Amino acid sequence: MSPPLLTGMIAVNSVSKFYGSVVAVSEVSFAIDQGVTALLGPNGAGKSTLFRMLCGLTPASRGTLRVLGEDPRRDRDVRGSIGLVPQQDALFDHLTATEFVAVAARTQGVDAVDIDRVVRWALEQVDLHDVGFKPVGQFSKGMRQRVKVAAALVNDPQILVLDEPLTGLDPVQRRRMIALFHRLGDEGRCVLVSSHVLDEVARLGSNVLVVAQGRLIARGDYRDLRELMDDRPHRIRLGSSDPRRLATALVGHGLVSSLTLHDSHVVVETLDVDALGRQLAPIAVDLGVRLDEVHSLDDDLESVFRYLVEGR
Amino acid sequence: MIDETASASLSAYPAGVDRSPVGAFDGLAVSYRLVLGQMRSTGRIVALLLLSMTATIAGFAVGSSESATVDQAAAVIANLGFAVVLPVVCLVFAGGAIGDLRDDKTLVYLWLRPMNRWPIVVGAALASLTMATPIVLPAIVAAAALTGVGNGLTIATLVAGIVGLVAYTSIFTMLGLWLKRHIVWGLAYILIWEGFIALGGRGVAQFAIRTYTRSILDDRTGADLAEADFSTATAIIVPLVVGLAALTLASWRLSHQDVD
Repeated sequence: MSPPLLTGMIAVNSVSKFYGSVVAVSEVSFAIDQGVTALLGPNGAGKSTLFRMLCGLTPASRGTLRVLGEDPRRDRDVRGSIGLVPQQDALFDHLTATEFVAVAARTQGVDAVDIDRVVRWALEQVDLHDVGFKPVGQFSKGMRQRVKVAAALVNDPQILVLDEPLTGLDPVQRRRMIALFHRLGDEGRCVLVSSHVLDEVARLGSNVLVVAQGRLIARGDYRDLRELMDDRPHRIRLGSSDPRRLATALVGHGLVSSLTLHDSHVVVETLDVDALGRQLAPIAVDLGVRLDEVHSLDDDLESVFRYLVEGR
Repeated sequence: MIDETASASLSAYPAGVDRSPVGAFDGLAVSYRLVLGQMRSTGRIVALLLLSMTATIAGFAVGSSESATVDQAAAVIANLGFAVVLPVVCLVFAGGAIGDLRDDKTLVYLWLRPMNRWPIVVGAALASLTMATPIVLPAIVAAAALTGVGNGLTIATLVAGIVGLVAYTSIFTMLGLWLKRHIVWGLAYILIWEGFIALGGRGVAQFAIRTYTRSILDDRTGADLAEADFSTATAIIVPLVVGLAALTLASWRLSHQDVD
């Protein structure tokens, strides 16, 4: 007996996508509702293909996708309820930011008398209202990303599909954009954001979908995922003026379970990363050793996938 | 989780904003304006102007000859103006009208909108017509006038030029949407199909647009052009119907194709 169909503002049931013999997405199922959901996966994992199917830009080879209960490939009207920020850095470069967002508003059916108002609002949300008169061809990558977000917001869509929207943003704009996504989610919209950066996903929200090699390999609360990760040794690179003395002291305090010594740094493994974090600086001060670097080697996405997929 | 500082200047969506279905004219106007803006390239325009001027120069050369006949003049217009200049200029603009949007991945901004596909296609075709017409038409009409064989050829060239522009821009708009290497395929169509195979007899010739533009010249001036046997009415109606069919097919294709 086949499992019951999932339902939600976005419902994906056993969806696969093939390009010839290449499997881009394989048997993916999930349903999400209002709020921010992060889709986490390395480059080439199938995130963009999944997003394209959700927007109706390409059909699923197998399975069903529903957005607000409709098939986005067949139902043109439901596509008017989707705001997409595509991953590619492609804009109509001859248009100003105001014109670009106005085109989006007009083609989404916003009444002519309201267009100026909603365009100004959308540009304010992404902090571009002061440069709306400039052609987008003159914008930096971060500004171009923000223009795409403004265009996606301009018709107040219920569904926002944002493919790597934080790429190219400076830290201030990144914080602002994340706050914007949360507010949109809190207001009842379904916000699906993809990223390949673990740190970004930690800030984006608690609800996470993890994809790798076209498959959905984990889903749930980000903190659960993090705790799952915390059950295994963490690898940390410590750069210092005297890595040998530092490593000896850390072993003496029982803070590390194993280590690898290099000329300018030591890579340690610890089961209690919090204790190490608390005691590392005092130990270094006591030894008179200068700490140059403390870098977690496990916070990169590849290590998450290695753990989830391969269990190591 | 929300960063209060970062969210300080964010505000709710404006109240009382209404939405209504996107009308065909709105879709067409947006498509027209976007495609026209994307097409404006000084280098491309200058190169195509130079190509068009070869027809004008050829017309002037014929007119400079004391023994120029209407047959010779019509042959120059048909074989250079309508067989090379006009289709190549249309190919460059119309082939890229939607093809370039697809290739540079901006098509998604039109495709994802809740509106009919045909206004997007027609808007793009009209934009390419807007670009191609001032480059081609003055050049070939001037060529006809400069041959000095009379107003009949000039008016016939004007009529045939308009018919050819509409037909070729429609066909190449469809081609650009359908095929990734539209310039290569378009040149193959112009040079191999229309320029070679279609000269192989009336049966094949009726599947080439140039047969109809030639027929208009032939019928209106009395010139003796090969493979130009249609009446003016037929030679106007058939290419326009073909153009309409091409735009219909392009609209269908746009509805069903994958978009990046």
